[in-house]
Amino acid sequence: MPRPRVWRSAEGLLTLPALLFYLGVYLYPLARIVGWSLYDRGPTLKFYRAMASDPSLLHALGNTLSISLLSTALCLLLGYPLAYLIATAAPAAGRVLMLLVLVPFWTSILVRSFAWIVILGNHGLVNRALLAAGLIARPVRLLFNMTGVQTGMVHVLLPFMVLPLVAAMRRIDPNVLRIARSLGAVPRRAFLHVFLPLSLPGIAAGGALVFLLAVGFYVTPALLGGPGQITLATMIDMEITNFLDWGMAAMLGVVLMAVAGVLFAAFGALLGPRLVTGAE
Amino acid sequence: MARAALWLFGGLIALFLVAPILVVMVTSLGSSSFMAFPPRDVSLHWYAHFLGSPQWIGPTLLSLRLAASVAVSATLLGTSAAIGLARGSFRGRAALEMFLISPMVVPVVVLALGLYFLFSGAHLLDHPLALWLGHTLLATPVALVLVRAGLRSTDRSLERAARSLGAGFWRTLRHVTLPAIRESVAAAAVFSFLVSFDEVVVAIFVGGPATTTLPKRMWESVRFETDPTLLAIATLLTLLAVAVLLLGAWLRPGRQT
Amino acid sequence: MQRRDLLKAGGAAALAAPFLHVRPARADKGQLVVVSWGGVYDEALTALVVPEFSKRTGWSVKFDAPPETAKVKAMVLSGNIGWDVVMTDIPAVLALVKDNLLEPIDYGAVDRAKLDRIPKELQQPYALGQRIYSFNIVYNTEQLPEAKHPRNWAEVWDDKAFPGGRTFNFQGGIEPQLEVALLADGVPLDKLYPLDVERAWKMYDRLRPMVSKWYTSHAQAIQLLAAGEASVGCTIGPRGITARRSGAPIGVEYNGGKLASDNWCLVKGVRNKAMAMEFVNTALEPKLQAEIARRVPYGPSNGGAFDFLSAAEARDLNTSPENIKEQFWQNVVWWSTPGPDGKSPRVAQAERFAKWMLAG
Repeated sequence: MPRPRVWRSAEGLLTLPALLFYLGVYLYPLARIVGWSLYDRGPTLKFYRAMASDPSLLHALGNTLSISLLSTALCLLLGYPLAYLIATAAPAAGRVLMLLVLVPFWTSILVRSFAWIVILGNHGLVNRALLAAGLIARPVRLLFNMTGVQTGMVHVLLPFMVLPLVAAMRRIDPNVLRIARSLGAVPRRAFLHVFLPLSLPGIAAGGALVFLLAVGFYVTPALLGGPGQITLATMIDMEITNFLDWGMAAMLGVVLMAVAGVLFAAFGALLGPRLVTGAE
Repeated sequence: MARAALWLFGGLIALFLVAPILVVMVTSLGSSSFMAFPPRDVSLHWYAHFLGSPQWIGPTLLSLRLAASVAVSATLLGTSAAIGLARGSFRGRAALEMFLISPMVVPVVVLALGLYFLFSGAHLLDHPLALWLGHTLLATPVALVLVRAGLRSTDRSLERAARSLGAGFWRTLRHVTLPAIRESVAAAAVFSFLVSFDEVVVAIFVGGPATTTLPKRMWESVRFETDPTLLAIATLLTLLAVAVLLLGAWLRPGRQT
Repeated sequence: MQRRDLLKAGGAAALAAPFLHVRPARADKGQLVVVSWGGVYDEALTALVVPEFSKRTGWSVKFDAPPETAKVKAMVLSGNIGWDVVMTDIPAVLALVKDNLLEPIDYGAVDRAKLDRIPKELQQPYALGQRIYSFNIVYNTEQLPEAKHPRNWAEVWDDKAFPGGRTFNFQGGIEPQLEVALLADGVPLDKLYPLDVERAWKMYDRLRPMVSKWYTSHAQAIQLLAAGEASVGCTIGPRGITARRSGAPIGVEYNGGKLASDNWCLVKGVRNKAMAMEFVNTALEPKLQAEIARRVPYGPSNGGAFDFLSAAEARDLNTSPENIKEQFWQNVVWWSTPGPDGKSPRVAQAERFAKWMLAG
C-alpha cells in the first residue's frame, strides 16, 4: 500500500532516542565485553577454543537452553488460558486476576526460596497433605530438581507471558468470534481459526520475553535446582568472581548472546517473520 | 461447563501464585530471628524492626524512587522505539530491533562489569544516576517488546484514516496510535518498574555505600543469615502494591477495556 | 489496567528524578571505606570498633558490602580505588593476590602483643585473620537427637546409621571439602596435608547419592537443615550456633572441623595505608573481639579475646581452647602452591568440582 514519504521517515525517527541512549550507555560496555573475550596479552581466540573443547561448558549451555525453553512452554500452557480468562471476564474479576499475577514480584527471591521449601519440601505442606490423604506412601521430591526450578521460574515469569497475551486478546473484536459462530463455526473451530491466530502477536511477544529473561536467570536455578540444572550463568559467575578470568566470562556471555540471537530468529521464522521482526 | 473448568484452572493458578506470599505473610508474624513456619508466636517484631531502622528504610525509598524513574525513562524509550520499528520503514530495521533487545541476554554480571568501567570513566560510580542509566538499559528491552506486541495487535487503518483526514504525525500519534496501545504501555511501565526494583547485580557493581538499594541491602543481610526482616518487607510491599492497584481501580469506576 | 494512575505515578516519578541528586562518590579525607559481608557482623563492627578507631584517629568509617572480588579488580584496573579495607575469605584472597590486586599487610603497624596471640596460620603476607569460621558437622536435632548425632565425618558418610539427606556446598568456583572427605575415610587430623586428592574424590563419589541438595549459600544450608530437608551437612558451625540460639532444631559438632578465616586485606593503591592499618590494628583489639564474639558467635582471631570471655561464653566459639583442639587449620600454602600446569589446587579442584557436578 503506498504511503506518504514523510510519514515513513518521521515514524522511523522514533527509534532515535533509544538508539542514542544505547550508544551512550550500552555500546562501550558491549565493546569492552567483546574485547575481553578476544584479548589476552594480545588478540586471541583461545577463550572460544576453550568453549569448543570443554564438554562441561557445552553441558551447562544445554542446561540453560533446555530450562529456558521448558519455562517458555509452561508459561504459555498456563498463561494462555489464564489470559483468556482475564481478557473475557467481567472487568472486576479480570482486575483481581491481574493483581494476583503481579503478586510474586514483591517478594525477594531469597525469601521465596524459603517459602518453596515450606510448601514443596519433603516435609512441606504439599507432601504432608498428599501423605495424609493416602495418595502417596513416601514424600515426592518436588524440589532441587527440574520440577523445583520450573516451579520457581514459572512463578515469576508467568506475568511476562500473561500481560502481552491479555493486551493482544483484548484487542480482538468480540464481534469477529460472534460472526464466525453465526456463520456456522463450532466454538472450537471459531477459536482455532479466528481467535488463536489473532492472539499470535501476544504469544510471540510473551514467548520472546519469557525465553530471553529465563536465559538470564541465575539465582532461581541455583537455589531450587540440582546438579542437572547447573546453568551457564553459574559458570560465568565462577569465572568472574572466583577465578577473575574475565576473558572466559566475556566469551561465555558472547556465546550466550549469539545462541539466544539465533534461537530468537528461528523462533521468529517459526511464527512467521511478520511477528518478530515486524515487517507489517 | 467449559467456562467453569476455565475458572477452576484460573483458581488453581491463582493459588500457585499466592501460596509463597501467604507462607511469607504467616511466617513474618513470628518474633524469632529464625524463620519458622508456622511461627511459634504472633508479634509485629520484624515490622517494627524494619520501620524503625534507617538502614532498611533508606534503601527502600531509594529503590522505589529509582524504579519509578526507570519506569518513566524505559517506557518512554521503549515505546518510542517500538513505534519507530513498527511504523517506520528503513533499512536494517530487523538488525536494529535485535540490537535494542540484546541487553536482555547479556549475562547481567558481565554487563555490570562493563558498566563499571563506563561509569568509572564518567565519575558516576556510587551515584544514583549510574543506577538509573544501568537499570534503564535493562528495562528498555522489556518495555520495547511489550509495546511492540501491542502495536502488532492494533488496526492500522485508523491511523491511515486519521492521516488521510489531514491529521499530522504528532496528532495521529497522540490521538490514535497511543490510545490504541495504552494497555501495553501501562504493562511496559509496570515491568520496567519491577526490573529495576528487583535488580541486584548492577546495584552491587556500580552502586556503593551512598547508593544502597533494597535488593543490595537484602543480599547483604542474607550473606550472614536469613533475616526475617525480609519477610516483613515482602509482606508490606505486596500489601502496598495491592492497595495502590485497588485504589486506582476504586477511584476510576466504569469503563475498563 | 490502571494506566492513568501509572501515568500519574510516572509523572510524579519524572518530577522525582531530579532528586536523585548529586552526591560525592566518597569523602576524600578523613573517611575510610571498609567492605565486608554486611549483616549483624557489620553492625557489631560499627558499634564497637568504629568508635574506638574514630577516637584514636578522628577518622570516620563507611561500610559497604559485599566484598566482590571482581569489583576490586575493576577498581585497580580503572585506577578508581573506592574501597580501602576489605574483609574476605582465603579463596578470594588467593584469587586477588594472583592478579596482584592487594597491598601487603604492614605487620609493623600492628601491636606486637596482638600478633603474639594470633595463630601463625592467620598471618599471611596479604591477609590478616579477623573472624574465624569453620566447616563443621551441623545437624537437625529432631531427626538426629543430641544423644545420637554424628560425631565425626565417617558417621556423616554413614547414612545407614544416621539416616536422612546430606547437604554440602556447591557453587561455581568453590573448592570441594577434600579434607573433610579424607577425615571421613580415616585419615588422621595431623596427617591431612599434603592432601591425597584422588582418595578424597572417591569419598565424594560415595557422598553424591546421599546429598539431597548441594546448597549454594550457607544461609540456605541452615534453612535446609532446620526444615529437615537434610538431616546433617557440612556448613559454617557458627551459623548453626546462631540458628540454635534463636530456637531452630539445629546442633553443631565441632569435632573434625576445618578452621578458616575471614581476613583484613588492603586494596592495591589504598590511599591511606597507615590509616587502613590502624583500623585493622583496632579491630584486632582482644577486648573488642571478645565483645563482638558475644554478639556474633564467630571465633575471634586474637586468642587474647578469651581472657575477657567466661567459660560459658567460650563454649560455643570455634576457637575456644577446648574446641580448637578438635579441629584443624586449612593449609593455605597447600591450596595456593601451583602444580606442574601452573594452576593452584584451589583453581584446579574448583574446576574439577564443577565438571564433576555437571557430569553427575
